[in-house]
Amino acid sequence: MNTHPDTRKAATPPVTPLRRYLWVLAALLALLSLSAGSALLKLGAFNTVIAMGVSVAKTLLVMAVFMHETEARRLTRMASALGFLWLALLIGLSLTDFLGRVPIPAPW
Amino acid sequence: MNATAMDIQACDPAPAVEEQYDDAVQQREAATLGMWLFLSTEIMFFGVLFASYTICRVLYPDGFAEASRHTDMLLGTIETAVLLTSSSLIAISLRAIKLGQRRACTWLLLGTAALGTAFLVIHGFEYYSEYTEHLVPGINFGQPGPHSHAIELFFCLYYFITGFHSVHVIVGVLLITTLAVRVARGAFSAEQHNTLELAALYWHLVDIVWVFVYPVIYLVGRSG
Repeated sequence: MNTHPDTRKAATPPVTPLRRYLWVLAALLALLSLSAGSALLKLGAFNTVIAMGVSVAKTLLVMAVFMHETEARRLTRMASALGFLWLALLIGLSLTDFLGRVPIPAPW
Repeated sequence: MNATAMDIQACDPAPAVEEQYDDAVQQREAATLGMWLFLSTEIMFFGVLFASYTICRVLYPDGFAEASRHTDMLLGTIETAVLLTSSSLIAISLRAIKLGQRRACTWLLLGTAALGTAFLVIHGFEYYSEYTEHLVPGINFGQPGPHSHAIELFFCLYYFITGFHSVHVIVGVLLITTLAVRVARGAFSAEQHNTLELAALYWHLVDIVWVFVYPVIYLVGRSG
């Protein structure tokens, strides 16, 4: 049971200023228009690179500010990276197969 | 106990710390860690669909570009803006409860749920127009041309990814509406609002999933 009023107070982390949330929202909407606008330009493979780069930037903003990852302890941050890491392994290793396949014709 | 004393007890959620924890900090950290582990399973759940998408797109790049041009980019962009705004509203609602602003917190939560509902309604219109354009594999599909098979694959993945995402949005809307009612009735406080924080983490993840759905579904082959 809690007998230390000080520790209970510390359970509430510092309150983020409202301005920061509004700036992040503005940045997210700006990034959204950047991905929408760049998709209409003929950039070849860079269309995909920019689109995914913008998505990663949006995710990092949401995680850092909205989900308070910058204030979280290291263990929580590791847990939050876990799913993404696993996904990167899944897609990365699958692609080494599908991109590296050489059609070998049957010898008969 | 008279009525006033009962009212006070109903409004005051303390004691905040359950007996298995040393203090409120430990309780809060355990809750956040547990939630992130759950969210990791959610990332893996959607991840399988994204991995399938990636492989199919590598195999049929032209077909996927043509299929993506059949989706409604304007509605997709509006849906993304709606979800990003809802994410910021729920973040600000948490700030409000931390400052003891119960009324503001309630309205911000209701605003978040309203934007989630708006997202679902817009997406419903999208599904309807795709049905009329014969873009629903297995039910109403009829796309001529050499990429017909790839377009069918794209729309299969489209319905699985956006369908499961919409289910998550529905769950989020119900959860957030329930929490808004509880906040209005006096639940949670500046010291004890773990449940709200966990719900917000869930909602942000639903937003993050959509942030990746948007470019892979709506933005492929737009410049061609």
